[in-house]
Amino acid sequence: MTSLLLDIVTTAGILFAVSVGLLIVFGVQKIINFAHGAFLTIGGYTSLVVTHFHLDPWLAEPLALISGAVFGAAVERIIVRPLYRRPLDAILATWGLAIVVVQLITIGFGRGVQFVQSPVAGATRVLGTDYSLYRLIFLAIAIAIGIAIAAALQGTRLGLVARAVIMNEDLARGLGINSDLVRFATFSVGAGLASLAGALLTPLLSVDPIMGVPWLLNAFMLVMVSGTSLVSLALACLVLGGAQVVVSSYGSPVLGGLTIVVLAAIVLRVRPAGFARA
Amino acid sequence: MPQMPRREIRAAEEFRGASRLPSEEFRREIGRVGMLAVAALVLIGIGPWALGQYSVDILIRSFLYGAIAVTLDILWGYTGILSFGQSAFFVIGAYACGLTFVHIGLTPFTALGALVGGVAVAALVGALVGWLAFGYGVPALYISIATLVLCVVMVQVLYSGGVYTGSSSGLSGFDTFDVSMAGWFWIAGAALVLVVALGWILVRSDAGRLLVSIRENEQRCKYFGLATGRIKMQLLAGSAIVAALAGYAYAGYTDVVAPDLGGFQFGTELVIWVALGGRGTLLGPACAAVLIDFVSAYLSGSLPFVWQLIVGVVFIAVIVVMPRGLGPALASPVRRAWRRKAPARPVTARLRPAEERNAAAEPAFGGGPTAIEITHLSRRYGSLHVLEDISFSARGGELVSLVGPNGAGKTTLIRCISDGRERTSGRVAIEGHGIGRSAPEYCARLGLGRKFQTPNVFEALTVAESLRIARARIERPSFWRCDDAIRLPEAAMQVVRTTGLAEQLATRVRHLSHGGKQALELAMVLATEPRVLLLDEPTAGLTKPERTVIGKVLVDLVQRHGLCVLLVEHDLEFVREISSRIIVLHQGRIVLDGNVEDVVSSELVRTIYVGEPQAIGEEAG
Repeated sequence: MTSLLLDIVTTAGILFAVSVGLLIVFGVQKIINFAHGAFLTIGGYTSLVVTHFHLDPWLAEPLALISGAVFGAAVERIIVRPLYRRPLDAILATWGLAIVVVQLITIGFGRGVQFVQSPVAGATRVLGTDYSLYRLIFLAIAIAIGIAIAAALQGTRLGLVARAVIMNEDLARGLGINSDLVRFATFSVGAGLASLAGALLTPLLSVDPIMGVPWLLNAFMLVMVSGTSLVSLALACLVLGGAQVVVSSYGSPVLGGLTIVVLAAIVLRVRPAGFARA
Repeated sequence: MPQMPRREIRAAEEFRGASRLPSEEFRREIGRVGMLAVAALVLIGIGPWALGQYSVDILIRSFLYGAIAVTLDILWGYTGILSFGQSAFFVIGAYACGLTFVHIGLTPFTALGALVGGVAVAALVGALVGWLAFGYGVPALYISIATLVLCVVMVQVLYSGGVYTGSSSGLSGFDTFDVSMAGWFWIAGAALVLVVALGWILVRSDAGRLLVSIRENEQRCKYFGLATGRIKMQLLAGSAIVAALAGYAYAGYTDVVAPDLGGFQFGTELVIWVALGGRGTLLGPACAAVLIDFVSAYLSGSLPFVWQLIVGVVFIAVIVVMPRGLGPALASPVRRAWRRKAPARPVTARLRPAEERNAAAEPAFGGGPTAIEITHLSRRYGSLHVLEDISFSARGGELVSLVGPNGAGKTTLIRCISDGRERTSGRVAIEGHGIGRSAPEYCARLGLGRKFQTPNVFEALTVAESLRIARARIERPSFWRCDDAIRLPEAAMQVVRTTGLAEQLATRVRHLSHGGKQALELAMVLATEPRVLLLDEPTAGLTKPERTVIGKVLVDLVQRHGLCVLLVEHDLEFVREISSRIIVLHQGRIVLDGNVEDVVSSELVRTIYVGEPQAIGEEAG
């Protein structure tokens, strides 16, 4: 029972870390970044490179964050910015980008499944049961990411400006806020966070060129039910991720894999606002 | 029309002489497309001899994909329904074939049964998804989410089918139709030509304009009483049928079915082909699907990943640089060269008087039957009471103005009358029929017409097309013809004539002035032959002469046609000139309800507008 509860909270933490970048991009840009999965894959391969050169495994995360952010910044300038007024086209263009990234990675690294060295191994004793240490560390990092973003939004000037753009972009522009810069910064940060999540996932999962796709779908559905609120996203991850764990444990893993998308689709149909202001 | 000067009549007549009729244009294009279809069929006919076996083999599949791309174009390019899930319907058809032939065997009877079964299941799933996605208040993006989820679920269902569905490797090597490769080539090619031709007739017909109007402004369609949700659901089910047929043929020909055919990657690939070929062009997506799939098959051998990379890069470039797609970008210079001789004459239908369906106007001013009755209506947002205990009724032949300062709840009241889900409690009845909790389209069917505060029109359509859409509920638009006449009731005709819209029938609505759009929306609403007309500041942003025209029209509607008009207006002078009765709303309550003189001279109204709230409590209490 304890290990089930731990599975639920750590799964929620993983989902939160994976989705939060998509959420802030959706909040500020009002577009859905379908290249999110590709950014995640880039993070995964960053940690593969780190393993390959026998560097300290903990270097993978900062390197992934930086490479994702740099790549995201370039993508924002070239592809996303011309499509601000065409949100549906932005979905398609970012999906096209995802295809390009997958092909580039396939050309560079091959299609095969590869493994990454884990920074920590083994289990630790919590609440009277043995549990994977890495998953607990992941949960702690996810919580730290959430707190850092919330603090940045609430406590910094960029955060204040970003919140203004989220609430009413036209008004914010009218007040002299450079919303293009805000969009640029958030997209870059969102891509960096996706990449970071990809690097964090690698000790748990193998790396392959299309590893981002299932995560993209889950993150997309979680963001759809959360609107633009970090708290709703955390709640959605806990509820839907929890349901996934329960269904996988007591039902079948196949059904478990469907739980988030199906439940989220139902939630959205019944209550279009989803978990926002719940 | 006495208001119409002789000069304008002449201008209108000359204009009519210069324009072409929709049916002429339609016939001309049918000829052109017919020729194109015959040419395509000839090419397909000689294809098996002219092409190598490998090309024929690939093209059979490409043709089938092309047919699905065409249906997706009708859904997305014309109607605005972005579906990622056409692959799911395709895989239903494919597995209907595969499962039947593997587990039951191939006989003419089972083949037909599988076909009918697959098509029925696909249509049912399509209708179910449509029902989920196009319900009241469901956001527009939901259909994209729902179809995405459908694909994911479909693939997992097929994966977990174990031996029965062949799991991840699918089914293969089953007995299938004894048709030669050339035969399949002809079947698939003819099917593609047929789908394009039928799709073309549909989108060019009057019903096709209706699809575009849903894409442009679904809300306006709903308030005309058009059940757009049901139309979209039927369209999705129809496209599911075509995709399932293509899937069935695919399985019958290739002898292989696999779960990934239903995945959202394939569904998204279809979307990419449509976007590359050009949304809303039919031919563009069909060509793009066939070409890209064909070239992919060729190049995936020699340049396996590079080819996909190129497609991805081109796709991004096209989306960013050429939003309308490659097809239109390539075709428009050709077309310009073709038509350089003379600018084409505009195409427009002619206005004709409609047969009046409603009983003749009540002669007595304000003496008609009760047209609208509101009892104890209230609207709350949480603890905020926007409307409290509103009760009044109005008869045909009355022009009732709702006045009150900003925030009094006037627009909310209009919304509560025209949408059954808006009010918190109370009852609204139109001509004796309660609106219950009906969605706007069903409220409109009770005889309600609503003109919005800011012009709510179809920017991409012409004036004539807009008027036809407004009539679409009364006169069902044809799926395979264009009507040359737009039959308008007298009231709508009067607005069209007196405001000069009659001379602008072929003009795109986006090129009209603000006043022109306001007049057009009013004419469209009147074209639906409402018995109760809700007007939210119809003269906002209009010039003085335009106001006078609208005012005259409204008085005429009420006096001669016996309509009941509920008017929200800020301009007290205007209200005073045309109203038969005035209701004053203040802070969500009716504070005064009486004839024009009583209300205008009332101390209370002055107080409300000048703003001395303490005085109101005393007088109202």
